[in-house]
Amino acid sequence: MRLTSLLDHPFRDAYAAKFGALPGATQAWIDGLRQTARGILNTSGLPGPRVEAWKFTGLGDVVKIPFLPSSSAEDIDVREIPLGVPHIPGARRIVLVNGVLSAELSDAVNDPPGLRIGTLKHYLAREPQILKPILGGLASSGSYPMAALNTAYMSDGLVILADKNFPGSTLHIISIGAAGADPVAFHPRHIITLAAGAQLNVIETHIGLPGQSYLSNPLTEISVGENATLKRYVMVAEDNDAFHLSTAAVALAAHGTFEAFHLVVGGGKVRQEVAVAMNGAGATCRINGLYALTGKQHHDLTTVIDHAVGHGTSSQLVKGVVDGQSHGVFQGRIHVAKDAQKTDARQLHKALFLSKGPEVDCKPELEIFADDVQCAHGAATGEMDPNHLFYLMARGIDADTARAMLVSGFLEDAIATISDELVRAAFSDLVQSWLKRRAA
Amino acid sequence: MALIEIKNLHVSVQGKDILKGISLTINAGEVHAIMGPNGTGKSTLSNVIAGREGYEVTQGSVSFDGQDLLAMPPDARARAGVFLAFQYPVEIPGVSTSAFLKTAINAKRRTEGKPEIDAMEFLKLVKAKNKALGIPDDMIKRPLNVGFSGGEKKRAEVLQMTLLEPRFAVLDETDSGLDIDALKIVSDGVNALRGPTRAFLVITHYQRLLNYIVPDYVHVMAGGRIVKSGGKELAYELEAEGYTKYLAAA
Amino acid sequence: MAATAKTVETVRDVEAYKYGFVTDIESDLAPKGLSEEIVRFISAKKNEPKWMLEWRLKAYRYWLTLADEEPTWAKLHFPKIDYQDSYYYAAPKQKVGPKSLDEVDPQLLETYKKLGIPLLEQQILSGVAVDAVFDSVSVATTYKKKLNELGVIFCPISEAVQKHPELVQKYLCSVVPVGDNFYVALNSAVFTDGSFVYIPKGLRCPMELSTYFRINEKNTGQFERTLIIADEGSYVSYLEGCTAPQRDENQLHAAVVELIALDNAEIKYSTVQNWYPGDKDGKGGIYNFVTKRGACRGKNSKIMWTQVETGSAITWKYPSCILQGDGSVGEFYSVAITNNHQQADTGTKMIHIGKNTRSKIISKGISAGKSSNTYRGLVRIQGKADGARNYTKCDSLLIGSTCGAHTVPYIENRSPTAQTEHEATTSKIGEDQLFYCMQRGMTQEEAVSLIVNGFCKEVLQTLPMEFAVEAQKLVGVSLEGGVG
Repeated sequence: MRLTSLLDHPFRDAYAAKFGALPGATQAWIDGLRQTARGILNTSGLPGPRVEAWKFTGLGDVVKIPFLPSSSAEDIDVREIPLGVPHIPGARRIVLVNGVLSAELSDAVNDPPGLRIGTLKHYLAREPQILKPILGGLASSGSYPMAALNTAYMSDGLVILADKNFPGSTLHIISIGAAGADPVAFHPRHIITLAAGAQLNVIETHIGLPGQSYLSNPLTEISVGENATLKRYVMVAEDNDAFHLSTAAVALAAHGTFEAFHLVVGGGKVRQEVAVAMNGAGATCRINGLYALTGKQHHDLTTVIDHAVGHGTSSQLVKGVVDGQSHGVFQGRIHVAKDAQKTDARQLHKALFLSKGPEVDCKPELEIFADDVQCAHGAATGEMDPNHLFYLMARGIDADTARAMLVSGFLEDAIATISDELVRAAFSDLVQSWLKRRAA
Repeated sequence: MALIEIKNLHVSVQGKDILKGISLTINAGEVHAIMGPNGTGKSTLSNVIAGREGYEVTQGSVSFDGQDLLAMPPDARARAGVFLAFQYPVEIPGVSTSAFLKTAINAKRRTEGKPEIDAMEFLKLVKAKNKALGIPDDMIKRPLNVGFSGGEKKRAEVLQMTLLEPRFAVLDETDSGLDIDALKIVSDGVNALRGPTRAFLVITHYQRLLNYIVPDYVHVMAGGRIVKSGGKELAYELEAEGYTKYLAAA
Repeated sequence: MAATAKTVETVRDVEAYKYGFVTDIESDLAPKGLSEEIVRFISAKKNEPKWMLEWRLKAYRYWLTLADEEPTWAKLHFPKIDYQDSYYYAAPKQKVGPKSLDEVDPQLLETYKKLGIPLLEQQILSGVAVDAVFDSVSVATTYKKKLNELGVIFCPISEAVQKHPELVQKYLCSVVPVGDNFYVALNSAVFTDGSFVYIPKGLRCPMELSTYFRINEKNTGQFERTLIIADEGSYVSYLEGCTAPQRDENQLHAAVVELIALDNAEIKYSTVQNWYPGDKDGKGGIYNFVTKRGACRGKNSKIMWTQVETGSAITWKYPSCILQGDGSVGEFYSVAITNNHQQADTGTKMIHIGKNTRSKIISKGISAGKSSNTYRGLVRIQGKADGARNYTKCDSLLIGSTCGAHTVPYIENRSPTAQTEHEATTSKIGEDQLFYCMQRGMTQEEAVSLIVNGFCKEVLQTLPMEFAVEAQKLVGVSLEGGVG
């Protein structure tokens, strides 16, 4: 019998005792969301190999690990920000340990006027009406299996609210994963809203303590208002024993802009799903990314861009290099709704093999219901172009140096899509140090 | 003295004979032109000299300054002083032109036992050469050849040649896709490099380029062979009469 | 915008189905429904040996276990099929098999004439051998003698079961296992006929082999079974074309085609499919669930699929290549046109197993009316397929804003020395292209037909000459009354 779902997952029983203690338990609407999510988990389980969107990322190994809720691991004690976290000049650092805000490690500064940052717990207790329209509204448990898991067990997270015409600020959210003696799981829930005309840069670094096994299952719901611009740059450098399964659901209003970059240089099994609903006319969405995998690493970037109305523009460039026995996956669906005329949607995925042994799977998908559109996707996998190599060698550059230059160039081409200069420089450094580690 | 000596060179590509016995000696200080219709093996010859894979030398030899050129990998040939200006320079996204140039210059300097070029010196050097070639300075910040127009690509090839100062340069259809102004700039760049220690092999379909880069010798290639050699006047004769009679001869 | 609006208008206003006529012939019908009895009845009717019956029964029993495994992943919507509400056997009445065309029911011959397939003329003019299948039983086979002399076996598969059991047993289901999918299991249990081709070693078959299929009997499931074997160093080009009479009720068609190419052999399989697509409100029309797969078993073998799909209410079809032999080549060229309420989910699978295997996929989808047109394809490069290459290009054209065009490629690469390249675009007919043509005096319909034919050219030009003409006409006809 082929598996359609993984009903026997470790979250069924380990968490049962915690339900009453989860934040918002006394509020009917939150309780309702959790009940629905648990219902879905109980009947559908975690996605198995026959769930189309999870075809290339199996969770057979995840369900075998008895993850404990991270709050029950008493011995987690993180005193400093790990090495490997990029320095972004001028960015305010907000540190989470297993999804819980660490005031001690975070920069102690006041929120600038027009920007409010707080914890999910705080907002659930004090101002739930702010969360109501978004929480569970953008990422429903029925649409995303990991959203169901997150909603059922979310215990905290960040709420970031930018007021109308907020002129801009750069936040660096450093999410540290740590386990004690036993593997743990955490399900942070973040809400980011930008009112009309607001600007915000959010950098997320997901990093783990070495040798520790944990499951990070963050879910971020993002609302970008009219003419607002959110730039979200995500760097995943989890430990090789860590699982990272994240979901981000974005709603874009008219003429809003969402720019994302996903850089993956670490993690045992990483799957990132980003779904963008382009609800307002004239919106712009850019999702670019880069993965560099070695050993037995697995990475899956799944994007869904829904052009619900016309005159929207979306572009995606995702590049990957794979070494060892790693496994790279890119799935990208572009949906253009009926009457979403004048849509311009483009997508390109390229993967470069650095050795014998890795696997790359790609599923770009166009789903078009409007005729006056320009939509295109491309995908290419293979080894280095011998013509490129020859050109460099014909200029006197030796083969090893030429290869290194070409791999670097292949990756930098993706990095170049990052519009924020400081982040571009920082991410470029991360790529270069990945290349140096590999060469060493 | 002979800088490059090609003897009875036979080359096949995927089992098909393309070059059928080319012999050519070029001395330092000379400029030779090879003319001929399309598909006669002109580009094959340039690729074999530069060492591209996929070409099988079935007979003959090529020596450069007394060394067996065919035994050397392409990068070693380049560092020894062989330069090919490509007919179709490749676009390499992500690799900046400046990083590429610096790496190539330093590879050569290392071979010559010189220290690496420092950043300021490099910039100064490139800027000076750019000016002569009419290349905007910001071009070197762009990815290698990406989005360059046909003329820009050819100018970038000549810039590389100027910076690497080869002893023997092959120009493969460098005039194709150039308007008259660009052609003049490119030719001036080449002419500035002419000198007693350096040799050129100019491959072209048209006589036009040879008005600007005046050769010492002209060879007509057809059917994988050199069918006629002569002085620069041969080019005019070809322009007037066409290649037809040589095709028949081949 | 006016031009587009008019295009949309004309697409909606589809003329009556051109080949919509019904032949009235008494049928030899098995009772409605599917059971072990029916499977035995079909086998007995065909006078089959015991091994064949056993094989069918095995398939039938397996099918029963698949009750809940009817594929649902395609972008297709249709009411659940009641498999007990269909006839599984219908044969035109015949006393004995016809020895010549004179013995063939004149009404049948008349039908072919209406379809533009006069057997006699075809024999004389084009040298095409026609194994004409009417419903499920072959009624006329021509050029048999000449092919016989060359050692080519080209006959109904029912005849091959009798005369060449060793070949049938060796190759049947060797490419498409009985349990491959729901429809294959069903077909294996109840197929009534189809074509069998064997090309001997080293022979380049001098004529195109063709079979014209036609669904005729009301509520008859049509389960064709085709098996083509090209022995070492041989070549064959096989043509399959369909037109079907107009019907109100949906008809199920679940054919299985298997191709086997041994060392250095080449098979070219071309299809023009124009089953009845249903009326402009989506009523009626054929449900076409086809499994076509070829195995490039030998080194340097080649299989090339070309299809022009313009008919059927539902098309579910993925002609595929399993590239086992080193250096083998698989190619897939497809034009799929959907109009009104038609739904097509079609594409290919290229499975690279051998070294230096190459595949090429060119797919052109044209959607009009309220139709839905999906390309679905898989390119899989296995770990040992060193130096494998794939190139895929999928282009979709939308005519009007009430249809859908979808592209769902799967690319799985495990070989570092392999290269895969995929590109896809979706667009509409350019206003400037239309204007340009119309400014030169073409009607809008002509202009659209011209542009669409140009859009499909890369595929149409791979068809054998006599088919290419028909296909071009079909493209026109599908958009005629539609657009031109």
